[in-house]
Amino acid sequence: MASRKEGTGSATTSSSSTAGAAGKGKSKGGSGDSAVKQVQIDGLVVLKIIKHYQEEGQGTEVVQGVLLGLVVEDRLEITNCFPFPQHTEDDADFDEVQYQMEMMRSLRHVNIDHLHVGWYQSTYYGSFVTRALLDSQFSYQHAIEESVVLIYDPIKTAQGSLSLKAYRLTPKLMEVCKEKDFSPEALKKGSITFEHMFEEVPIVIKNSHLINVLMWELEKKSAVADKHELLSLASSNHLGKNLQLLMDRVDEMSQDIVKYNTYMRNMSKQQQQKHQYQQRRQQENMQRQSRGEPPLPEEDLSKLFKPHQPPARMESLLIAGQINTYCQNIKEFTAQNLGKLFMAQALQEYNN
Amino acid sequence: MSRFFTTGSDSESESSLSGEELVTKPVGGNYGKQPLLLSEDEEDTKRVVRSAKDKRFEELTNLIRTIRNAMKIRDVTKCLEEFELLGKAYGKAKSIVDKEGVPRFYIRILADLEDYLNELWEDKEGKKKMNKNNAKALSTLRQKIRKYNRDFESHITNYKQNPEQSADEDAEKNEEDSEASSDEDEDEDGVSAAAFLKKKSEAPSGDSRKFLKKMEDEDEDSEDSEDDEEWDTSSTSSNSDSEEEEGKQTVLASRFLKKAPATEEEKKAAEKKREDKAKKKHDRKSKRLDEEEEDNEGGEWERVRGGAPLVKEKPKMFAKGTEITHAVVIKKLNEILQARGKKGTDRAAQIELLQLLVQIASENNLGEGVTVKIKFNIIASLYDYNPNLATYMKPEMWQKCLDCINELMDILFANPNIFIGENILEESENLSNADQPLRVRGCILTLVERMDEEFTKIMQNTDPHSQEYVEHLKDEAAVCAIIDRVQRYLEEKGTTEEVCRVYLRRILHTYYKFDYKAHQRQLTLPEGASKSDQDQAENEGEDSALLMERLCKYIYAKDRTDRIRTCAILCHIYHHALHSRWYQARDLMLMSHLQDNIQHADPPVQILYNRTMVQLGICAFRQGLTKDAHNALLDIQSSGRAKELLGQGLLLRSLQERNQEQEKVERRRQVPFHLHINLELLECVYLVSAMLLEIPYMAAHESDARRRMISKQFHHQLRVGERQPLLGPPESMREHVVAASKAMKMGDWKTCHSFIINEKMNGKVWDLFPEADKVRSMLVRKIQEESLRTYLFTYSSVYDSISMETLSDMFELDLPTVHSIISKMIINEELMASLDQPTQTVVMHRTEPTAQQNLALQLAEKLGSLVENNERVFDHKQGTYGGYFRDQKDGYRKNEGYMRRGGYRQQQSQTAY
Repeated sequence: MASRKEGTGSATTSSSSTAGAAGKGKSKGGSGDSAVKQVQIDGLVVLKIIKHYQEEGQGTEVVQGVLLGLVVEDRLEITNCFPFPQHTEDDADFDEVQYQMEMMRSLRHVNIDHLHVGWYQSTYYGSFVTRALLDSQFSYQHAIEESVVLIYDPIKTAQGSLSLKAYRLTPKLMEVCKEKDFSPEALKKGSITFEHMFEEVPIVIKNSHLINVLMWELEKKSAVADKHELLSLASSNHLGKNLQLLMDRVDEMSQDIVKYNTYMRNMSKQQQQKHQYQQRRQQENMQRQSRGEPPLPEEDLSKLFKPHQPPARMESLLIAGQINTYCQNIKEFTAQNLGKLFMAQALQEYNN
Repeated sequence: MSRFFTTGSDSESESSLSGEELVTKPVGGNYGKQPLLLSEDEEDTKRVVRSAKDKRFEELTNLIRTIRNAMKIRDVTKCLEEFELLGKAYGKAKSIVDKEGVPRFYIRILADLEDYLNELWEDKEGKKKMNKNNAKALSTLRQKIRKYNRDFESHITNYKQNPEQSADEDAEKNEEDSEASSDEDEDEDGVSAAAFLKKKSEAPSGDSRKFLKKMEDEDEDSEDSEDDEEWDTSSTSSNSDSEEEEGKQTVLASRFLKKAPATEEEKKAAEKKREDKAKKKHDRKSKRLDEEEEDNEGGEWERVRGGAPLVKEKPKMFAKGTEITHAVVIKKLNEILQARGKKGTDRAAQIELLQLLVQIASENNLGEGVTVKIKFNIIASLYDYNPNLATYMKPEMWQKCLDCINELMDILFANPNIFIGENILEESENLSNADQPLRVRGCILTLVERMDEEFTKIMQNTDPHSQEYVEHLKDEAAVCAIIDRVQRYLEEKGTTEEVCRVYLRRILHTYYKFDYKAHQRQLTLPEGASKSDQDQAENEGEDSALLMERLCKYIYAKDRTDRIRTCAILCHIYHHALHSRWYQARDLMLMSHLQDNIQHADPPVQILYNRTMVQLGICAFRQGLTKDAHNALLDIQSSGRAKELLGQGLLLRSLQERNQEQEKVERRRQVPFHLHINLELLECVYLVSAMLLEIPYMAAHESDARRRMISKQFHHQLRVGERQPLLGPPESMREHVVAASKAMKMGDWKTCHSFIINEKMNGKVWDLFPEADKVRSMLVRKIQEESLRTYLFTYSSVYDSISMETLSDMFELDLPTVHSIISKMIINEELMASLDQPTQTVVMHRTEPTAQQNLALQLAEKLGSLVENNERVFDHKQGTYGGYFRDQKDGYRKNEGYMRRGGYRQQQSQTAY
């Protein structure tokens, strides 16, 4: 059911519904020096991803897979994909790399594009900004420069609009990740904020002309009732879930800040102690000098005052990013719903 | 010293010692002991030096001989076993070997064994004939010895090169072997001799003496190990021993004689020396005995005491013709007492002796004073019988003790002119002079207390599910009777302190018993005048409530030790609670302020406190006061160690944490089984009251993020229930409660009721209450009420209005009750509604925020705290300047002003992330 809608939304070369539009706006700022400026996805890939989730993912569980395709100029064309098997307890020794290589080799044998260009993942209420995602995307981008991650949101899709977004790590973040230094100073130096962690790449869904023709055909036949998800007025469940998740993140953020706070306090306390110590030393030396004794040898201050380990700030960046995503989601959702409510009201009045 | 001294009349024993010191010391036991000890010490030092080495070598040679024997009969399995032992023994002897070098005999056996095994291995024919075990053992042993011998390679090659060096030894060996086989008893000596002989070449002259000494030592050794204990005490009771020793000496001598020719002929000189020595030793011993005898002549009683275990000596207690007077009997008594607590004293015999003494005393009409004194001592000895504090008295002994106390009480009651007391000095005792009141030292109360403790110990150590336990429990009546008698006696004569103590005993035997008679009376009283004569007779006994009241009040008023009063209060509360006098019990508990400082009390009192709290909780539950019940039981139940806290068993979990000693102590604290509180009942009461509290609360605070759990335990049970993949009908008590809770959550009181009250639960729990039906009806009503509340909380958002009549039908409550419950909820602002009187309906106001609103509120709150935290970080960056913002705590709420004033800071606050 989702597939059909997606078809209608993407028609030929127009950017994909809301996701693409939102992405475009943002990408202007971030992706200037990026290798990939546009992602073009085959309808087949979209359908395969949706099918994969439909069959295997449920609830908070996510599904993942590999994207295959190639780069043409500044456009990344994704022409095929295959899923990762679900992780279960009993196949702990499952070799993912082996599996990927074999899959790609097999695909190559049947003459399908076999170049690895990224991966996809489903998400639960938009909660995808995690450390795991960051790490694996980093390793992808590190190995294959042009890789992207496609995030598919099945819940939003079920509400009537296909939600598929392509993300890349910004070059700044790549640098920081390369150095594996997430201390406050390093992040400051890299001038990384939660807004500049991921860049969204605009998506274009491309179908062959024959398929487009079929789409037009089908759209004519389909009744309005088939699209009723789009007009659903129910909002409480979705909003509630989003709020709940948002609240959890806010809690985490709070804890993180408290941690940072303690660190700061400890630091300043130590600084003070250090200062006092130095002064004392100086005074003593002065006295000694006046008495004609040699000054005390310089001691290593860093040994006396072990600097506290600064807390890694990556987590809080990620949380902030996640909160941002939630807020975007809620904003989007409420905006749409308000529109729908006004429409419903108008309809009611008209009927009366 | 004996345990009795420390617990009870220690002052008595002390004074007896001090009083008699001059007389006893010389007679007592020092005279013979000291020289003996000295001589032993002397020998000891020598032995330590020698025996370590000899013992090891002896062990080795022993093993070697067995191996050789096994080799002869081709028993390879045996060889293997012994060889392994040999290896171990060698390992033990390592330190000595390091000093002395590897003994030749050891090398020899290794070499021989290897040769032998190789021989066997080559012998294919023989191998085939061998049984399976042997064949297997052969290959293992062969491998083992090869590996083992690698370490001794140089020694073995050395040995193989010049075996003639030990040829003579071989000859000797053979000799020995034959001897050993002929005379097994001589094993040790023979072997050690051999060991010695092997060393002879190295130090022929010096060794002979060593050898002799060693021989002697060995003898000493064997003797010592046999009668080590008697050795110490032989001074006090060696009369009978002396004969034995004499016998031993002869045996010894013969041993020596026998050995002498067997071992070596050239050793005749040495032999002589040794015999001299043996003789000397013998002389010394006999001299010692003589001395003893001489000493004994002074006091003929010494002999008697020593011979006490022998029955035939009994009548010899007093020499014939001795006039039995007070002085003689007392002297005798003291003598017997002196043996008390010493090692080797036959305690059973002592008791018998004392009993005999009583008989003699009474036969000779020495008056009650003496009898009382001896009786006291008999009881004390009875307690002494068990040397270990942890073990319990044998029931028979205890029974004897009971009889004795009874007799003693008889005498005391019959002779009001006897004064007893623990602070009467030995000197001021008056046992004979009939003109003046008799004064006897001793404390009947201590004896009774001790008796009671022993009773508890017996109960603790009896299997509670056996008939035996029931039999023992029957004795409880006797104990109570004795305590009662002592109480009466002390009420007349004792000090207030003593009275308090005996009252406490009485209370401890009363508080846990449910007074069925009083209960019955209470039930029949309102019904009216159907009192038959039988009833009257039954009613004659004092109501236990009154009794408790009387005893406890006395203690409250008179007691000066805190502990007795605390115990009394706790027992009193327990008793109240047991008889459903909730308010009295509660008030007493609150007034005593025990809850504040009970943690400073000793463990037994704490256990009593826990028991009382539990009983209080159960009592509250019976009264329908679920909240009180829950609160009272919370402490005990939440820890999950109810069993341990109530002293009703040890937890297996903590077994690793405590050592043996602690475990013993804990075991002693256990409450006897007949005082136990049913743990399942306890848990059920707790869970049901938690359910009645928690379910409506959960319904009321469904969406409140900050709701607290009332009962963790209960939540835990619920979670366990939820985790079940497949829910069958409930089996255990807990499952029943969980199922009932689930039903209640939906407001389905009928299902809830059927889960809580049914056949199974009746059998398990409810029938254990004295007024089961009353409790059940209370419970049904509670379930109805709480279900109604839950229903209203859960479904009020669905209704615009609801008729009270409908509610009353649904929950089978009458209209006024429904009305009152709803009114209460409205007043407490739990239910946003109003009552519409004319139509008898509840009109909902719908002012409750929706789920989203709730969430949004929570989010706002959280964001507030987040901002506050963030600001604090910011303050750090800003240094002192930030302090300005800290002053106004609610800075984030005045966001606009703050932003306007410090707009530039916006960027910085972002970098703070």
